[in-house]
Amino acid sequence: MERGDRDFLGGSMERELIDVDMSMKFDNLSVLEDIKFKVHENEFLVIVGPTGCGKTTLARLLGGLSKPSSGHVTIAGEDVNPKIHNVSFVFQEPSCIPWLTLWDDISMGLEIKGADPQSAETKTRIKEVIKLVGLDGFEEYFPKQISGGMKQRVAIARAYATKPDFLLMDEPFGHLDAQTRYLMQIEIMRIWEREKKTVAYITNNIEEAVYLATRIIVLSKLPARIKAEHSINLPRPRDLTGPDFLRIRAEITAQCEVVK
Amino acid sequence: MANDKNAGSGKLGTFGYNALALSIFILLWAVVSWISESLFLPTPWTVLKSFLDLCTYGDVEGINLGMHIFKSTLRIFAGFVAACILGIPLGILMGLYPRVYDSTKSVIEPIRFIPPVAWIPLVIVLLVGFSRYAFIIWLGAFFPIFIGTLLSVRSVNPTHIDVPRSFGAKRLYIIKKIVIPSTLPDIFTGMRVGMGIGWDCIMAAEMIGGENEGLGVMILKYAELIRIEDIMVGMIVIGAIGFLINEVFIFVERRVFKWKEAIVIS
Repeated sequence: MERGDRDFLGGSMERELIDVDMSMKFDNLSVLEDIKFKVHENEFLVIVGPTGCGKTTLARLLGGLSKPSSGHVTIAGEDVNPKIHNVSFVFQEPSCIPWLTLWDDISMGLEIKGADPQSAETKTRIKEVIKLVGLDGFEEYFPKQISGGMKQRVAIARAYATKPDFLLMDEPFGHLDAQTRYLMQIEIMRIWEREKKTVAYITNNIEEAVYLATRIIVLSKLPARIKAEHSINLPRPRDLTGPDFLRIRAEITAQCEVVK
Repeated sequence: MANDKNAGSGKLGTFGYNALALSIFILLWAVVSWISESLFLPTPWTVLKSFLDLCTYGDVEGINLGMHIFKSTLRIFAGFVAACILGIPLGILMGLYPRVYDSTKSVIEPIRFIPPVAWIPLVIVLLVGFSRYAFIIWLGAFFPIFIGTLLSVRSVNPTHIDVPRSFGAKRLYIIKKIVIPSTLPDIFTGMRVGMGIGWDCIMAAEMIGGENEGLGVMILKYAELIRIEDIMVGMIVIGAIGFLINEVFIFVERRVFKWKEAIVIS
């Protein structure tokens, strides 16, 4: 365990929670090469990269859903494993379970982590996260009955319910329309500011990255390497059209090789 | 909810149209048979009379229609239940462990392609009484249930499996909470198909089986006597029972798979 003795990294910097140093290959296809970074406690780290650069592969490795072909992904010094560690994952694909009501879906993580679904404590927590994402009154609905934006709220509530030490979000709003996406970004900031968590947020949307992040890691095209790193110290809520915002955004856009 | 109300009035409408369609069908049948005056096309009321006679006096051997229905239905249910008990768990198992299926398919697949009817001569020699029929029905109903379950397990949405996995869920939890509920609609479809094939098989099995009870053998008895109206009673009874069973399936599906109904609110 790394204690809070890393303060030399910067006065306000909190301790390192996640340590990544690995490469990933599928057969002969090298997807991630020499990916080396750390995630600090309560940080909102955004990883941006061009489409198809292996972002989802990286997310799955960070969440312990797959193992790197070499190197390690550790949380508090141990290889990340959702059976041991309290990590949560918000998937890019719509992930509501069609046969579960929102209530049952959101309580799934707690149930797996061993909480008694009937206990007052569990119920209070579920009510809390449902309120947090603004789904009160929809507890008994099935996914088919709600909109795409609401489904992503369910996924976020489910991930938050377990009070994870490390929360992974893999392009959680990629499927949403621009307007809903913008509202969800505001929402996710509001939630993060209320319940601080260590977050790794993966996206290909640079504006979203600059809006959300305390720190941004830029990945290159396949095979992905870390291309640049930015600390974003803009005050919140951030102004999408402010000069600093646009400058950082332009800088990262250039690094992302989105346009030639 | 407003949608429920619409569904309700829609159902009533469907019922009305079905009553009308059935009436028109019977009317057309009546007109055609009345005009043709053929011995081989009895009128609806001759068939109704035969039905009542078969119910009250029984067939040429004095066996009541109710007894024929009871025997056939019982045989089908025995074979069908056996097919479910074996087909569903085996389908789930082989879906979860594709290697088991892949390394045994040289046995499974050829058996699947042998029509159950082709088994009848062998079954008559090897088995006795009730087990003959149950076995044939089982053969017919097993494969749609088994294959339907197996394919369904293999096509579970991977994201739905990743959700509990991302929280560190155990394999058994994922099977119970994700795999089985996800395959249930396909299992039901397999059961419906299996039930239909079961009826095909029982007719063939009873016609060859040599016993004197069962709807299949009843039809055969009257075929030998060329009494079309009694044959038609047998046919209509089979159709009606099949229809009722199907309605029961639909009713249960609506209850169990509420989540499948698409009611969009926003």
